[in-house]
Amino acid sequence: MEEKITFTLNGMPRTVEVDPETMLVEVIRDVLDLTGTKVGCDNGTCGSCTVVMNGRAVKSCITPVRKAAGADVVTIEGLAKGMTLHPIQKSISESGAVQCGFCTPGIIMELYGLFEAKPTASQAEIETALNKHLCRCTGYEPIRDGALMAQKLMQDRK
Amino acid sequence: MEYKYLGKNINRPDAISKVTGKAVYLDDIRLPGMLHAAILRPEYAHAKILGIDTSEAEKMPGVVKVVTGAGCPFRYGDNIRDLQPMAIDRVRYIGEPVAAVVADTPLHARKAMEKIKVSYEPLPVYIDACDAMKSDAVLIQPENGSFWHLPTLQPIPGTNIANVYRLVKGKGEDGFAEADVTVEGEFVYPFGSCAAIEPHGSIVWFKEDQTIEAWSSSICPFIIREDLAHSYGVPVSDVRVHIPDVGGCFGYKSDITVEQTVAWIASFVPGRPVKWVASRKEDFTSTLIGHGMRTFMKIGAKKDGTLVAIKTTVQHSGGAYADTAVNVTMASTHNSTGPYAFEHCDLTGFTVYTNTPPVGAYRGYGHQESQFATERLMDMLARKLNMDPFELREKNFLGEGKTASTGETMFKTNGDIQACLDIIKKEVYAHPQVREDENYYYGRGFAAVFKTPKGAPFSTKGCYMKMNIDGSVSVNMAGAEVGQGLRTVVRQVAAEALKIPPEKVRVYTEIDTQFSPYEWQTIGSMFTTQGGRAIIRAADKLIAILKHTAAQVLKTDEDYLEYDGEYVFLRNDPTVRVAVKDINRGYITDDGITIGDVAQAVSDARLPRYSNPDKNGQGSIGVSYTFGVQAAEIRIEKKSGKITVDHFASSYDVGQVINPKQIRGSVMGGALMAIGATLYEKMEFDAEGRLSNPHFFNYHLPTYKDAPRMTVEFVETPDAVGPFGARGIGEHSVIGAAPAILNAIYNATGVEFYEIPITPEKMKKALDARQEK
Ligand code: FES
Ligand code: FES
Repeated sequence: MEEKITFTLNGMPRTVEVDPETMLVEVIRDVLDLTGTKVGCDNGTCGSCTVVMNGRAVKSCITPVRKAAGADVVTIEGLAKGMTLHPIQKSISESGAVQCGFCTPGIIMELYGLFEAKPTASQAEIETALNKHLCRCTGYEPIRDGALMAQKLMQDRK
Repeated sequence: MEYKYLGKNINRPDAISKVTGKAVYLDDIRLPGMLHAAILRPEYAHAKILGIDTSEAEKMPGVVKVVTGAGCPFRYGDNIRDLQPMAIDRVRYIGEPVAAVVADTPLHARKAMEKIKVSYEPLPVYIDACDAMKSDAVLIQPENGSFWHLPTLQPIPGTNIANVYRLVKGKGEDGFAEADVTVEGEFVYPFGSCAAIEPHGSIVWFKEDQTIEAWSSSICPFIIREDLAHSYGVPVSDVRVHIPDVGGCFGYKSDITVEQTVAWIASFVPGRPVKWVASRKEDFTSTLIGHGMRTFMKIGAKKDGTLVAIKTTVQHSGGAYADTAVNVTMASTHNSTGPYAFEHCDLTGFTVYTNTPPVGAYRGYGHQESQFATERLMDMLARKLNMDPFELREKNFLGEGKTASTGETMFKTNGDIQACLDIIKKEVYAHPQVREDENYYYGRGFAAVFKTPKGAPFSTKGCYMKMNIDGSVSVNMAGAEVGQGLRTVVRQVAAEALKIPPEKVRVYTEIDTQFSPYEWQTIGSMFTTQGGRAIIRAADKLIAILKHTAAQVLKTDEDYLEYDGEYVFLRNDPTVRVAVKDINRGYITDDGITIGDVAQAVSDARLPRYSNPDKNGQGSIGVSYTFGVQAAEIRIEKKSGKITVDHFASSYDVGQVINPKQIRGSVMGGALMAIGATLYEKMEFDAEGRLSNPHFFNYHLPTYKDAPRMTVEFVETPDAVGPFGARGIGEHSVIGAAPAILNAIYNATGVEFYEIPITPEKMKKALDARQEK
């Protein structure tokens, strides 16, 4: 049965009328037409669909939209401020972490969730976060480099 | 050599759109009136279809059409026309399309699809070529031999053998008479999935004006265009194919596969675009898969280590349709010599129909499968001869003046593998080996490798280049950007060739056969080589146009002029000059008359002197070679058998590094992919042909914590073919991992493996067996 569900998406209140068991990723991509969030698997194993909900990185392909009711959701489209990239976007775009780019939005959102909650996350914590994501292109080293660069940029700005 | 813009780390032109989530991939495309397809897959991997009942499905909400393969009048394929868009009277693999539902939403399509009922009569299932080759095997393709095929192919009618490829050089097998020592073995590289993180998919739209428009996450828009035109009887120019950003390819999005299935479905709902995107499971079972190769190899050498003869038999389980596998078999077979000179070669490759998804391109294109055998045997031979494994290889490298199996002569410009080996010695072998301790065995191993493209007579790449009024340049090509970074290469090579800063080069973002220049397909690590040549040719033409116009302005001869990116000027007196921005649309004289031409150019480039092989497999079918060496330092946990790669080193002679950051990323990605194949990845088909691990949670791709420390270094011996001496490198990094790691396992434990992946269970079992002895 369809229900009205309201949440904040990238700072804007949004209301959708959907089956509450629909996965959040489908709502974001197909109902609200934000296609930056990607789908790479059928069951929460690749990390491509990661968004930040109430400050925590979650896999939107296994998160029913009812759980987003009243929540604050940020997707990759919500990071840049106009023409200014978020430091994580900037670092990831320059460290060699982008090849095909399909894993990229999910990884950036994972790091965003991590650094917002814990700006001083240790390298081990960063590595544990990255280990939740599959990247078939890069061998991961440039992603780690980008993450460390981003953390430094964010700290310097504070 | 020092270049102004090559060898520098400029950023990727597509990086910003990808980090902002704005890059458009196939599934991000929304079209007016678009419908969605769900495709039914069979319960059996090999069965006759007795009946399909679609009545229930047709009544489901949102359903527009239910489609079966009945009445499909054509087969398709580029090499062997044996492919079908949808099963008709039998299914031949577990992921084959049996029927489809077109509906208003993907969910409605899926729900209705579940209501389709099919009855089957199962047939025997063959997963491995060696079973399918038996004389009493049921024929998977009873019409084998009567399908249209390229004249170079040799199917054997009445068998499951879709092609036999032969190469004989020198005395062939008789050459073993000259050998004092031989080694031999049987090596298996099992089925794997390219498993790009973006699943494959397509959109096809049959339009009322008789044209067809398609979008696909593919690397072969022009093949798709020609093939759809052929199948549906329309002029090639009436099919328009778009390629958006592609989320990784690694081989399996090449050739034409899912596009024909989606087109068949869409042809039943003319006027409406139909989208289909694979689930991850379908991406495993219903797109091209990789490898499935068994290599029997025998190598003969003189007492002093000089190699004399090689005999290879490749049995390639090609899957239910062989169109996409035949060339992989061939590349694997003729490159099974590894980077060594053999006077006598007897090489045979069988491509065999089996009941798995069709096998096709996988990064490396046959090279890692057969050179796995070569490089394991070279270590065994060194031991048998009591010779240093480095020395054995050095003695036999396919160096200057030597001939490859195909008869092609090597020149200095083909690269310096010795220099690559020296780098590996320094990076991996200069320090003492770590000693066994309480918990671990330690070992190191290496492999020397090479790869050629698998070209074709018409394997062209085109380039349209136009200079804009401000002197910036737009470059339009049809190389598919799958992440490999070819747009960066285009930008840097064009900047170098035109002597303008990279920021002034704007590179195309999507491919559209209506506007893009012709390109055969973006395969074989050939884009830098051929595409780069095409850019230089276009740039030369464009500069000639500028000089032609400038000659009129400066009242002199064209060949008395020089060009530096900003001005065209007299060779002896640079103060007599005209600015490029004043002549790139022709030159307007004081009285308003325009003279000269617009600065725009068209070009293309092929592999020069590429030829088809003769009946003995001799001919210039490699053309461009890249050599390299890879090595692994590993650790094996005694308790569990778990293998950890601590350090992986790769060194290739790439001729000229274009972008250091990007090439390092490419090699690391390839190396990790091959480490995955060596230690974890295997598509497990059971005896009934069902895939038991079609998900990322049971088909393990290497994650962050599996990635070793990587050393990546390059040698730069300029190539004779590629732009500014650059060679192809996209696939080469996958070739050496399996033999290097297995050689390291032997080094650590004395255990000899012939088949990958080496899981902890397998390793543990081998360690236990060793202890019992
Ligand atoms: S799509 Fe959500 S984890 Fe893969
Ligand atoms: S960049 Fe392609 S999957 Fe990560």
